[in-house]
Amino acid sequence: MLEVRHLDKYYNPGTISELCLFSDFNLIVEDGEFLCVVGSNGSGKTSLLNLIGGNLSLDGGGIFFHGEDITKQKDFLRHRRIGRVYQNPGAGTCPGMSILENMSLADNKGKHYGLGRGINKQRIPYYKELLSGLNLGLQDKLDGKVSSLSGGQRQVLALLMATMNPIEFLILDEHTAALDPKTAELVMELTQKIVNEKQVTTIMVTHNLRYAVDYGSRLIMMHQGNIILDKGKKEKAGLKVEDILGTFNEISIECGN
Amino acid sequence: MKKKFISLTTCLILATTLLIGCGDKTTSTNEGGEKNTQYTIGISQFAEHSSLDNCREGFIAGLADAGIVEGENLKTMYDNSQASMDQASLIANNFVQKKVDLICGIATPSAMTAYNACRETDIPVVYTAVSDPEAAGLTKGNVTGSSDVLPVKEQLAMIHKILPNAKKIGIIYTSSEENSLSTIKKYKELAGEYGFEIVEKGITTASEVGIAASDLVSKVDCISNLTDNTVVSALQTVISAANEQKIPVFGSEIEQVKDGCLAAMGIDYFALGKETGALAAKILKGEKTAAELPFITSEAAEFYVNTGVAEKLGITLDPSYLPQAKESFGN
Amino acid sequence: MILLRSVLEQGMIYAIMALGVYITYKILDFPDLTVDGSFPLGAALTALMIRGGVNPLLTMPACFLVGGVAGMLTGLIHVKLKVRDLLSGIIMMTALYTVNLQIAGRANLPFYDNNTVFDNAFVSSIFTGVLYPYRTLVISFLLMLVVKCLLDGYLSTKSGFLLRAVGDNDSIVTSLGLDKGTVKIIGLSIANALVALSGCIFAQQQHFFDISMGTGTVVIGLASVIIGTGLFAKVTLFRITTSVVIGAVLYKACVAIAISYVEPVNLKLITAALFLLILVLGMERKKKVKQSA
Repeated sequence: MLEVRHLDKYYNPGTISELCLFSDFNLIVEDGEFLCVVGSNGSGKTSLLNLIGGNLSLDGGGIFFHGEDITKQKDFLRHRRIGRVYQNPGAGTCPGMSILENMSLADNKGKHYGLGRGINKQRIPYYKELLSGLNLGLQDKLDGKVSSLSGGQRQVLALLMATMNPIEFLILDEHTAALDPKTAELVMELTQKIVNEKQVTTIMVTHNLRYAVDYGSRLIMMHQGNIILDKGKKEKAGLKVEDILGTFNEISIECGN
Repeated sequence: MKKKFISLTTCLILATTLLIGCGDKTTSTNEGGEKNTQYTIGISQFAEHSSLDNCREGFIAGLADAGIVEGENLKTMYDNSQASMDQASLIANNFVQKKVDLICGIATPSAMTAYNACRETDIPVVYTAVSDPEAAGLTKGNVTGSSDVLPVKEQLAMIHKILPNAKKIGIIYTSSEENSLSTIKKYKELAGEYGFEIVEKGITTASEVGIAASDLVSKVDCISNLTDNTVVSALQTVISAANEQKIPVFGSEIEQVKDGCLAAMGIDYFALGKETGALAAKILKGEKTAAELPFITSEAAEFYVNTGVAEKLGITLDPSYLPQAKESFGN
Repeated sequence: MILLRSVLEQGMIYAIMALGVYITYKILDFPDLTVDGSFPLGAALTALMIRGGVNPLLTMPACFLVGGVAGMLTGLIHVKLKVRDLLSGIIMMTALYTVNLQIAGRANLPFYDNNTVFDNAFVSSIFTGVLYPYRTLVISFLLMLVVKCLLDGYLSTKSGFLLRAVGDNDSIVTSLGLDKGTVKIIGLSIANALVALSGCIFAQQQHFFDISMGTGTVVIGLASVIIGTGLFAKVTLFRITTSVVIGAVLYKACVAIAISYVEPVNLKLITAALFLLILVLGMERKKKVKQSA
């Protein structure tokens, strides 16, 4: 269970451009939940993920993983329990290293990074098996540099790398936004497959209302730091894009886009 | 394939340039024939510096006095390592490759790299402008030269004569310059004899000279300037800070007096170079080997004075002392 | 031959330093000026130890360690005190100046008569006759080779992977649940350890320490790395570390050519021109490779 309690967050505090993003914001994500987050620009979706991940510090309130207060914990320590995929396909992989090296690196997460050989040859068949499941032909390019891959291929790899190890939470930060529709579809299908297999608690921020409706077990819509719509399991099952489009347009127009 | 080709060709060209180019020069000196009268020497100077330039010119003049004249029976090769140690080493090895008859190293690092490069050859090394040859390990082996250690006793005597009431002498030095450190040590040893106290200020770069000078002028009666390369490069800063407080600056060299020091008791680098040149001539002619010749220290401390500065500072100079000056300036 | 030999000797010795600069500049993307201080640091410690009668072989691990500490401090200043990369290096370089003077006790310390890794009874017994003048070249080549192979080996370990990852994309290190700051500190330590080792070997080749030995080290290192990686970037025959080593030799060759052909006043300009020429040659090729790809 992931809890955000009484969260306050200001930008540029004490200056003329002070901006209150969150004030007494609360959110509880139950174990095994697949939460889709939509909202207007500047509504605080990505900031929320950064606050949970520890990339941003909060000004009030607390964040709890399974009841444990991790508000003061450093970002890298939190990421031992979090798998994360970013909007930028480059952010989840090392472009200068080969696919094999990238996967070996991710495969070792949670273990000691000592002077043992970086690549465990016995694991190569497993990596190939993972990659061949994608039908992208990546299993034959293990020694190719990641920089030579397309954005979609990189994002798929990043998703695999983020979920290779047991994790408690999966955070997806608009991870299909930079991809073409066909690749985005593929990435979403893979996401669903992984979430199903691992039964991992997931938070996905997306701009795509259809994805938010089609995938996941719960949907929230955010606007100016508040949750203005929250559709749980039962309500979401029958939800259609048209049902939330009206509200979405309303807040988007308010924001001028 | 093409990429490898270009890369490898570049390497090959560089290598052959190094080999061929050097081969050319060696043959030209060797085929000169009369090896007995035709000499080739290499001069490795550490930095661009007027004292060191004077040394070099003196050295060539000293050789000429002994009948070894550039352009007639002497070919000199000159290289300046621009204050870079690894270049000094390459320069020395370049001279060794060209089979020069003698290498002259000007300033300590050049002398040391030259000595190191020649240790397995029979090329003698003659150095100059090395303040402490003993400490630099340049007293054993096929090497000799001259030390530019400052005449500290004479400097103290001069200050005492011009400023009989002075108590404290300030000195700015760079902590990395061995010659300054050894000179200050000597200053401290001898200061008591004249009733002086030495106040030192250590710096590391030229930019710190100004701060050190303005701090020092409030604490001392005069400043003595050594041959510290870094401080000399910012000498004007020291002089203007001192003169503002009507404090005189004494120098260690003729150039410093021209630049505004009140007076100096120092070595004449040209003369030092000349003596070194005479030393080198003996070795080239085969009269003595470098190992047989001990290094020399410039005996003659020369007195220089700037009457213009004295007037500006309101200091009256003893009229009987003035004629002792080798040169006197009035600006 | 002597000049070529000298270029190769210095190239080998400075290559070890360039490998260190390669770690900071290319892998970590950290412009590390500590190098100007850690190179003479190795030289100062070596002079002190050798004059004290210590076995010259021991100077190398000692310098490696002490250089590593210097790099670690730069890293700590940068990571823990949040000082900018360039400034952290400048601070350490400045501090090391005094440290070096304190270690050596003076600005210039010779040890012409002591044994070094290049001059000892064992070496003389192996390199006899015509081989003797080549001992420095052979030994420095072997030392460089050992260092290069160890570095290659390290870069393919798990820890080495992390080091490469932090320079490539440091958010991935955070994603792996590890502190990217620690990885940077490790990288800086290894880099400066190599630089100090290079200074140690250079001092033994020259038989003295001088405080000004470090001036411009970082420039030589950067030039070597850029020449090497620029010229040989796409030559898959070589590992990138090999390119760096060749780069160091080429840089020294440029300087030597300038010394033997050029008037002293023009020396730096010609060195710069040769340097530029090599770089342009490298770039030309890269463009062609791109077009054909």
